[in-house]
Amino acid sequence: MEQAVQTVIGGLLQGTVFGVVALGFALVFRVTGAINLSQGAFCIVGALAMYSFQVSLGWPGWAAAAAAVGVTAAAGAVIGATTFVPALSRLPVSSMLILTAGLLTTLEGLSLVVWGSQPYALPPFSGEAPVSVLGVRLPTQGFWIVGAAAAIIAGVWFLLMRTALGRALRACAENPTAARLMGIDVPRMTLFAFTLAALIAGIGGIAVAPILSFQFDTGRLFTIAGFSAVAIGGLGSLVGSVAGGELLGVAEQLAAGYISSLFANGIALALLILTLLVRPSGLLTAKRTRREDVRDEHRIYHPVVRLRGRRAVVFGLGAVAALAVLPWIVPPGLMNSVVITGILFISVLGLDVLMGYCGQVSLGQAGFMAVGGYTAAILATNHGWPPLAGIAAGLVLSLACAVALSLVTMRLRGHYLALATLAFGLLVESLAVGMTETTGGPSGLVGVPSFSVGPFDFGTPLAMYYLVAAVIVVLVLVLLGGLRSGFGRALQAVRTDQTAAAALGINVPRYKMAAFAASAAAASLSGSLYAFHLNFLSPDMVGLARSLEMIAMLVVGGEGTLVGSLFGVALLTLLPTIFQPLALYKTFAEGLLLVLAVRYLPGGIFGVFAQRVLNPSARPARSAA
Amino acid sequence: MSVPALEAVNLAKSFGGVRAAHDVSFSVPGGSLAALIGPNGAGKTTLFNLVTRLYEPDAGEMRFYGRPLAGLPAARIAALGLVRTFQAARIFPGMTTLENVLAGAHLHVRASAWRQMLWLPGARGEERELVRRADALLDLTGLLPFRDAAATDLPMGAQKLLEVVRALMARPRVVLLDEPAAGLNDAETAELGSLLRAVRASGVTVVVVEHNMSLVMGVADQVIVLDTGAVVAAGTPAEIQKNPRVIEAYVGKEAA
Ligand SMILES: Nc1ncnc2c1ncn2[C@@H]1O[C@H](COP(=O)(O)OP(=O)(O)OP(=O)(O)O)[C@@H](O)[C@H]1O
Ligand SMILES: [Mg+2]
Repeated sequence: MEQAVQTVIGGLLQGTVFGVVALGFALVFRVTGAINLSQGAFCIVGALAMYSFQVSLGWPGWAAAAAAVGVTAAAGAVIGATTFVPALSRLPVSSMLILTAGLLTTLEGLSLVVWGSQPYALPPFSGEAPVSVLGVRLPTQGFWIVGAAAAIIAGVWFLLMRTALGRALRACAENPTAARLMGIDVPRMTLFAFTLAALIAGIGGIAVAPILSFQFDTGRLFTIAGFSAVAIGGLGSLVGSVAGGELLGVAEQLAAGYISSLFANGIALALLILTLLVRPSGLLTAKRTRREDVRDEHRIYHPVVRLRGRRAVVFGLGAVAALAVLPWIVPPGLMNSVVITGILFISVLGLDVLMGYCGQVSLGQAGFMAVGGYTAAILATNHGWPPLAGIAAGLVLSLACAVALSLVTMRLRGHYLALATLAFGLLVESLAVGMTETTGGPSGLVGVPSFSVGPFDFGTPLAMYYLVAAVIVVLVLVLLGGLRSGFGRALQAVRTDQTAAAALGINVPRYKMAAFAASAAAASLSGSLYAFHLNFLSPDMVGLARSLEMIAMLVVGGEGTLVGSLFGVALLTLLPTIFQPLALYKTFAEGLLLVLAVRYLPGGIFGVFAQRVLNPSARPARSAA
Repeated sequence: MSVPALEAVNLAKSFGGVRAAHDVSFSVPGGSLAALIGPNGAGKTTLFNLVTRLYEPDAGEMRFYGRPLAGLPAARIAALGLVRTFQAARIFPGMTTLENVLAGAHLHVRASAWRQMLWLPGARGEERELVRRADALLDLTGLLPFRDAAATDLPMGAQKLLEVVRALMARPRVVLLDEPAAGLNDAETAELGSLLRAVRASGVTVVVVEHNMSLVMGVADQVIVLDTGAVVAAGTPAEIQKNPRVIEAYVGKEAA
């Protein structure tokens, strides 16, 4: 009994922090209609800055805390003013989601550069000894956490309900167009909300830091928890987000206490998926939901570049010839990375069908790589299945997951597929970590055999290279056949205008599902090949970081072009290998490139290439309201 | 007496306090061309949205060749042969003019996605046939020069025309056109008139929302006049032109 109470109290404390992060989410969502995935990163920026001031520089606690909060808020203001706010007036909501994913990666990468990859811990604010109340031991830091949260909630409430500034913020949330007409400076209000959310996250991060160990990429856990909390509580509801956070915290702690800490994450995500299934609008829905129809929906026009007839054949044959001779040009030491580039490209091809052609954002592409990879690898390693059969089994399982997920999200519009895929990817990741006996746990599955078909073994990088190249050629041809015909036109119609698409008889949910299934299948195949190639598979190879990385590759390379993403994959895979000293900056560069591409280069690198080289007469990409 | 192609019975829809449709009944015989006219905000677009089930009606019923449309998703309605265009041209950005038109033929693509992906001769032959039909329609409407341009680069009038062509590619039994002549110059409007006649002559029922009175009076078999969400009058163009309530509610305002 006492243990249960302790566990619940631990959960409430953790949940309080989740709730604080969620509050920031809800604030930004209410005012802008965008989900800010970088929210959690500000917690860790706050905590890491606190460490620097308090431990490295030896400042007194109160001064260090004030300075750390200041640094976090300043970071929020700078990022908001330079990227988030200007992008908001030009990009559709789905691109904003990708942009903030890029911001999350950028902040993590920056933290890696500044603070390195080691874990940090902070001393509790008022000593280690817990206080005993009615026989229950309470960590003193708990009082600080609850106190900070209470202050934040009270402050936000007062600001929103009792001040002129708050009234202006609420007007922006209600109807930005009307707010503008009333003379409210909407961009300034947006920047204010974004900065305030960063500040709140910073305070939360600093308060919770003494009870956990944190490092440069712990922020994503807060993003996920805050995001889940807000989805469980009801997008945009301030009260709901705090309640959702508490629920999530308690569920996680109970799962950790009574099942296994490795599954704690999984339980929370199962809760999220369950909420989406039963009450997609959240358990505590905001009374006044934002009117979707009042926001001008901005569209990005990809450059319309078409290669047809002879030129397409010439270009295609040239590309195949280049693939064939590449191994003689590439230094042998780089061959492994080239193969990995090819394998990742297979997965990104699928992502392009889903995101570039059908306009659906997936934050869990690597989850399907994990399903395909682990299924094939486990069956081949521990059960003696032939690799091909293992790949097939992985495909079946991935497709089953994809169908189940799309059935959950099909009825829902907006961010829900992104939300569900995020949850799915993390769930798979935590299963891969948690099911130690089957998957090898966090340290990975070793001894995976090389790929072979009957007597043919693909154990060398060169053999694997030609296998992967052949798979890519076939896959590109197949996808091209579908995408240049009725199937592709239906997908593109769904991406740009679902209402007009339906009015032409296009079954929108069905095409979304088909695109999702195609992307899952490609990822699954890619994951299997990945495991066979490296003879090894670990959760962080196919985790959230990989999903985000693949989005960056796709967007930087060029969405909706099928082959364009190869530029992005090659850039982000080969460069860090060629210039080893750059490896430290990889995450940072990845995030920054993603942000820049979303913001300034809607056609990606390939768009520029296509316009300059392939089709100089094509009109440049432009964005318009 | 044959079943009307499109029939509305006591349709009603309010937005907050605004009664956008109020007890609207009309019927359009198969193979005829009906014009829906009325001042701005009369509820013409709302009526289209109710028929194609973008909005759920508060009351009333729509029937398509006698078949109730209640409860059908928008894509199913198109599959039955009821296709519409939108007042603000909703062409697909990121696609060429030709691809936009081909997208209209979605319901007539027989080859499965698999056969397209495998480049099977049947699928490719079908695609060539669709392109041929699309080219013919583009030629007929004078859009052929824009064939391979990005559709969003077309001038506004051409975009509206493109949307009509796209709807016709679906081979509808009934087509609903929302202000297709908006943004067209006089010559183009005259061409649109002959296109509409040709469409009717091919057996397709047309319902068109239009402000241009000379176009309406020249091509319509039946004119339905809406004002503030209710049908004010319905009849042949000649009858409508003589109807004092119409002159007061609509033509009068136009003249003023
Ligand atoms: N989605 C909506 N929400 C609120 N009010 C609406 C909505 N759609 C239409 N209305 C209102 O219903 C009324 C009828 O609008 P509708 O667009 O049907 O008119 P219309 O006859 O097509 O006018 P126009 O000639 O300007 O296109 C108007 O008062 C309009 O403001
Ligand atoms: Mg209208």
